[in-house]
Amino acid sequence: MFEQIHEQTLLLLPFGDIVHYLSGYTVILAAFAVMFLLLALVSLPERPIDIVFGTDGYYIKEIPVDIMKFQRFMALACGISTIGAITTGDIFNFTLFAIFIGILNIGIVAAVENKHVLDAAFSYGLVVMMATIPLFAGAATIIATCGTLSIGELVDTDATPLIAKLLILIGVFGEGMAPFYIGKTEITRAPGAPYILMIHVSSLLLFLRTIEIFLTV
Amino acid sequence: MTRIQRIADYLANIDNLPKIYATVSCLIFLICLCTIPLLNYHETQLYPKSFNPNSSLNPYDRGGFPFTEPAHIITQYPQYSPASGYVTAYLTPVSWFLANTTEHLGTTIVGHPGGILDEILYYTRGLDTIVEASIFFAAFAVASFLYRRSKK
Repeated sequence: MFEQIHEQTLLLLPFGDIVHYLSGYTVILAAFAVMFLLLALVSLPERPIDIVFGTDGYYIKEIPVDIMKFQRFMALACGISTIGAITTGDIFNFTLFAIFIGILNIGIVAAVENKHVLDAAFSYGLVVMMATIPLFAGAATIIATCGTLSIGELVDTDATPLIAKLLILIGVFGEGMAPFYIGKTEITRAPGAPYILMIHVSSLLLFLRTIEIFLTV
Repeated sequence: MTRIQRIADYLANIDNLPKIYATVSCLIFLICLCTIPLLNYHETQLYPKSFNPNSSLNPYDRGGFPFTEPAHIITQYPQYSPASGYVTAYLTPVSWFLANTTEHLGTTIVGHPGGILDEILYYTRGLDTIVEASIFFAAFAVASFLYRRSKK
């Protein structure tokens, strides 16, 4: 069943050997990413309100304009690289986009001036840097054994080694921070809703795309 | 505390996250190293690993003449890169001088002006190079933002 995903391409966008494609599955992911990209482009950041318990007092957290601009730039770049990771038809290019998403997630939270958030972002940054090793190792294993990196050709060889998939999976775990919800909750305490939420969206879509790749190749 | 509580307490500390991730990665790397002999090698390789040791341009000696006679560039999808091979043989005057005097020009791809324009790197797989440069750009943007903020 899943072998047909790659054959039913709705759109082919070749950049030399790296052919971007949209299948019936990834077009939904891409539409979701585009929707969130437009949302981050047009919306202003949230202004969280803390109510003092038992009184009428409250605080409004204002986001300074320079931090807002930086976060918006990083969120837009993260959305674009998410679209790239969703549509790419090449394993090595996919790993590069995954690493790009990890770096940009760090950038989104780096602008926040909150000690807890920055501590969590530092730990997450170490994980992101470590995750590049299994990602590149997985892509290198695939090019060394199968002789090609294109997903369309790997479907035909039908013998992608399991350990390469395992390495890419653990790498995407690190980049997308998926099993580390403890890190995520610390990070998303940061104010700045539409931009911070791009972290969730990009890692979620990266995972769904990884599932598609693993079921295809 | 029960054992599960102790594990949950350890996992709840954000400072332990890199340690846990590194341990899991190392275990997977160990499994992968043990299963390397079981991998089967496919004979249909896109980039054959052979070169001419007598050429000073090796391993980038792909023949051809710049802009007139295309060099031998291996592509996955030749229909998507129709102009491949026309630039690879071009050498700047400095590189041409080095190619004629030394034996090792091919190993210094970025060590001198011009160099060898590897079309696999810049044309048929050019998007990889763009994304790599974008990763550097994003990392430097984050670092410069943090540096400038620390100086305020």
